[in-house]
Amino acid sequence: MKLKGLIPCSFRSQKNHIFFHVSSQTVDTIYLVSFWVYGRRNKEFNGLDQKEEKKLIEVKGLVKKYGNHLAVDHLSFTVERGQILGFLGPNGAGKSTTMNMITGYISATEGTVIINGHDIYEEPEEAKKSIGYLPEQPPVYPDMTVREYLYFVAELKKVPKMQRKSMIEEIIGRVRLEEVGHRLIKHLSKGYRQRVGFAQAIIGYPEVIILDEPTVGLDPMQIIEIRDLIRDLAKQHTIILSSHILSEISAVCDTIMIINHGKLVVSDTPEMLAKHQKGTNNLILSIKGDKNTVEEALLALEGIEKIEIKENEETHLIEVSIHQSIDIDVREDVFYALAKHRCPIFEMHTTSVTLEDIFLELTKSEEKDLGDEIEQKTISQDNQGESVVKETEEEELRDDSNL
Amino acid sequence: MIAIYKKELRAYFHSIIGYLFIAFFLFFIGLYFYINNVYSGYANFSYSLYGIRYFFTLLIPMVTMRIMAEENRQKTDQLLLTSPISLERIIIGKYVAVLTVFAIVMTISGIYPLVLSKYGDVNLVSSYTAILAFFFMGAAYLAIGLFISAMTESQALAAIITFAVVLITTLSSTLGQVLPTDNFTAVKVFLLFVLLLAIITYVMMHNLTFSILVGLLGSGIVGGLYLIKPSVYDGSVVKFFDWLTISTRFDSFVYEVFDLSAIVYYLSVICIFVFLTIQALKKRRWS
Repeated sequence: MKLKGLIPCSFRSQKNHIFFHVSSQTVDTIYLVSFWVYGRRNKEFNGLDQKEEKKLIEVKGLVKKYGNHLAVDHLSFTVERGQILGFLGPNGAGKSTTMNMITGYISATEGTVIINGHDIYEEPEEAKKSIGYLPEQPPVYPDMTVREYLYFVAELKKVPKMQRKSMIEEIIGRVRLEEVGHRLIKHLSKGYRQRVGFAQAIIGYPEVIILDEPTVGLDPMQIIEIRDLIRDLAKQHTIILSSHILSEISAVCDTIMIINHGKLVVSDTPEMLAKHQKGTNNLILSIKGDKNTVEEALLALEGIEKIEIKENEETHLIEVSIHQSIDIDVREDVFYALAKHRCPIFEMHTTSVTLEDIFLELTKSEEKDLGDEIEQKTISQDNQGESVVKETEEEELRDDSNL
Repeated sequence: MIAIYKKELRAYFHSIIGYLFIAFFLFFIGLYFYINNVYSGYANFSYSLYGIRYFFTLLIPMVTMRIMAEENRQKTDQLLLTSPISLERIIIGKYVAVLTVFAIVMTISGIYPLVLSKYGDVNLVSSYTAILAFFFMGAAYLAIGLFISAMTESQALAAIITFAVVLITTLSSTLGQVLPTDNFTAVKVFLLFVLLLAIITYVMMHNLTFSILVGLLGSGIVGGLYLIKPSVYDGSVVKFFDWLTISTRFDSFVYEVFDLSAIVYYLSVICIFVFLTIQALKKRRWS
């Protein structure tokens, strides 16, 4: 074929077929080049490491200092595709600061974040394409209507013009904003504003959705709705969620990270977190009888790790709390043992340690680590038996936090 | 960038601010046009523009105060800064939007020379270059307003500081002429400016050692120069204040002279302050 002298009819086609007017030989070269490019692309695609493919966010040694105050202290973790990560910590633990650093809103004093293979500080625009962020306060413009605002966000996030309308309508349906689509945001209630914030975060369907305390200030009904929405989103997106409320995190997340004073305390699944904790199953008993006999009878049993005995002055019953190991149910043995000693059981029930307890224990022990070492020593002198258990427990916690 | 630009323009014209700004500006231009050109019968429209330059002090803060301060207060900057768009584009988009509002005023004022030409001999070229120069002057003020707005979370504070800065840059040449011309006064004036600079750096960066360093270094240079070669300060106060005055650059356009250096001066002011705004916002993310 002879293409020499062919003049493209428009500027656009000129751009696309820029080589065409040279000679047919060049055309061959173009084919070769294009094959080469195609091959390289394919190779790149196939050559992706399976492990790298799974890793979506990599946080490396993140530090944030405000003057002398260390808000985030060498935080490192990875988030895999499809994970729902719960970020848990008391107020002021550095949750929001960490999220602001992951999303590139503020910069880190040290360390970096890699999102989808792009460094947030070196290639911010590429990295930010994979993120949808709902900060603590939904970043809405009060003087815009809901639809106007969502169009603006879609434009800002470079959603192609053709898809904008359908995407916005779909999202409006999904977060149930149909009724208020034409209303000014300043006239909306807190719950609706939060939903607008949600809609904003999922526009463009980014791979990661980061939500900073999404249910704060909402009523119980709205909280349930938002929770359902998060579960729904989790089917297609990776989600990072922060909260200081445990029930919320345990309801939706498959991995929990507890942070305190800007440090990672522990990171695990909710079930494993509960398992790691010693004495997850507590047995509470009310027994009539002599304190020493009861203690003797119980300590002789297998599977009991620790007992606490207290005498109730009003009812003259002995209240016992038994820490049993997870895999053994001692209730039957306890019944027979006490029956043998003729100590009737008035009440017996189990309590399992909730996330709440773990959270409190972990954040408390963290503080203890920092300050009260001397106090701990004096305690161990006073009451050796109990504090030995306490110390081993704490050691295990430290092991956990190293995980 | 276009998304930001459109959003900003909509913000001006969905609220009363945009209309108010345009209405006030056109009212003052119309008033001065009536006084100078219609009543007194001057054929030169630049006289009217020259007269209304003082109103920049009131009108500039009106449109610039909200630019960044409002975003900072509502935390909507979190949306902008976490979107896949660079900070430069955000700021430029916002600046071009406020320029557009001002350009609407200048376009409408372009009718006046045409009206005048109906009744006599009017130099249209010099009239329109004057309008262009006036536009650049306003653009320079808007850049300063943008910078101040980016520094604060409060619109009111942004407005007050912008008002003060625009007022100083409008009046400072008069101030320079009033001050004594001896070299020692010059040193005192420059020391005052060094102090001001140190205070500004402290307010912006909250770094006491750096501000003290700036202050000491500045006063060292000013004092040292005075001891070594006092003649450096001859007439320097007048020159310095003239240099600082944004509005005096417009004077030559009134005499129908096209002053390229004035345009370059305005363009540099615009570039410096847009650049400073971007840097200041970047800096804030680092601290």
